[in-house]
Amino acid sequence: MIVAFFESVKYSGHLLPISFLRIFLGYYYLQDAILKFKGDFLIRPRIAELISENLPVSQAPEWYKWIFSTFMVTHWQGLAFIFLGIQLAIAISYIVGYVVRPVALLAALFTFQMLYLSGTQSQDLLKVLLATHIAFAWLGAGRCLGFDYYFFKRVRGFWW
Amino acid sequence: MKHFILFLAAVFTILFIVHINKNQSFLIREQKPIVKIFTYASFSSKWGPGPVLQEMFEKVCNCQIEFLEGSDSGILLQRLKIEGEKLGADLVIGLDQYDLQKAVVESNWRSLDFSTLEIDPQVKSALKNEFFVPYDWGVLTFIEKIINANQPLSAMTLDQLLQTEYFHKIAMQDPRTSSVGLQFVMWILKTKGEEEGFKYISQIMKQAHSFSPSWSTSYGLFKSGQADLVFSYTTSPLYNLLEEKNSNLRAIEMVEPNPVQVEFVGIPTSCRQCDLAENFLNLMLSIEGQKIIMQKNYMLPVLKKAAEGTPFEKVPVPFRLMEIQFPSVSEVDRILKQWSDLRRESSL
Repeated sequence: MIVAFFESVKYSGHLLPISFLRIFLGYYYLQDAILKFKGDFLIRPRIAELISENLPVSQAPEWYKWIFSTFMVTHWQGLAFIFLGIQLAIAISYIVGYVVRPVALLAALFTFQMLYLSGTQSQDLLKVLLATHIAFAWLGAGRCLGFDYYFFKRVRGFWW
Repeated sequence: MKHFILFLAAVFTILFIVHINKNQSFLIREQKPIVKIFTYASFSSKWGPGPVLQEMFEKVCNCQIEFLEGSDSGILLQRLKIEGEKLGADLVIGLDQYDLQKAVVESNWRSLDFSTLEIDPQVKSALKNEFFVPYDWGVLTFIEKIINANQPLSAMTLDQLLQTEYFHKIAMQDPRTSSVGLQFVMWILKTKGEEEGFKYISQIMKQAHSFSPSWSTSYGLFKSGQADLVFSYTTSPLYNLLEEKNSNLRAIEMVEPNPVQVEFVGIPTSCRQCDLAENFLNLMLSIEGQKIIMQKNYMLPVLKKAAEGTPFEKVPVPFRLMEIQFPSVSEVDRILKQWSDLRRESSL
């Protein structure tokens, strides 16, 4: 598997710049996840604060606002855990190049949620991230400098 | 797909185990009661009065202070309304007189006894109800740069602001997002009456350099020389003198009575550490607490004694002050709607 990891550069070298972007993005998500974990994201209602401040002025449909302000704010602990878990999964997947395609789709969905829940100041960054995740899923960005190459060669299928 | 599900399960399991371990050690550390103070960001920031008051209070209360931040007083009310008890706020700091009616309608507050408080007579009328007590205040006026120090200072009228020399030279605030901006609109309407007031507002909109979303942005425009005047606090020149050693600014004395902004503190009925919250409030209203708030917030203390012997004593308050207003939510909404219509027309 390790051999396949490095061999991938030889056979899918055209994806190398994308791999660089993928690893960089993974590192970005890892840093953010570590900061949140070391801080009080899981033990204080930071996510509830984010929702309460931004949701009333967001472009989200009314039913979406209702669900989040009724159920998610009151169950912020579970929501914070899921958010952090997804961020960590994106980080690890992007860095090692494992299950990048489904994780990129999950990341796109996650970023789409964040577009509704974040303030206007981070909207542009989130839109760029959303496009990047979709591109990763489209290309199968884990096939170069990633463990996905090993499975792509042996298992094949849509997810590699 | 199997790989993906197993991968996610592994990540979440590891996160769960690490979190449980971390949480146990956190619970051992956190034995003291936590007083949650809900306030705007500049109060609890490291250069604001919050951390100093926190340090003083934690020395004597055997408790921990935790600040919950909202970006401004509007956000404070919005979050109180949505999160209510779940927010767990024991004390709410930073509402101004335009928020009080809304706060009373949207949330429940504990009655406070401040009959013994020797409050500055100039803000005594701010004691509107038994739920909120003022902790600082400021007088608003226009600030200008001193071009010729020998030039005698003369009072200005609102109409003088319409002169051509100020065309596109006045930095103002958007009343929909800035409490200072709202103060200006209410000041004009109170001084000139509603019909004449809106006529004046439409005229001064042409004089405005911009309507910034916050006071700090408009003040920045003024400081960088993009505007000749800014609507701000009479204490602003003192801030520049003490913090930036710049004595080049002055507050313009207006002929019309100037508007007053008062900031309030209240305790929601949903408080969990209510007694500790009241003790913190008492610290804010002590001479020592008032000095800290005055020096960090650059606002005037509600206890006049706190300013004695400090540069704040010399802050000019010879201006005739406008009576403190407590308009209803619907009245503010109606005025803001009219302002928005005028703004739209003026930008066409």
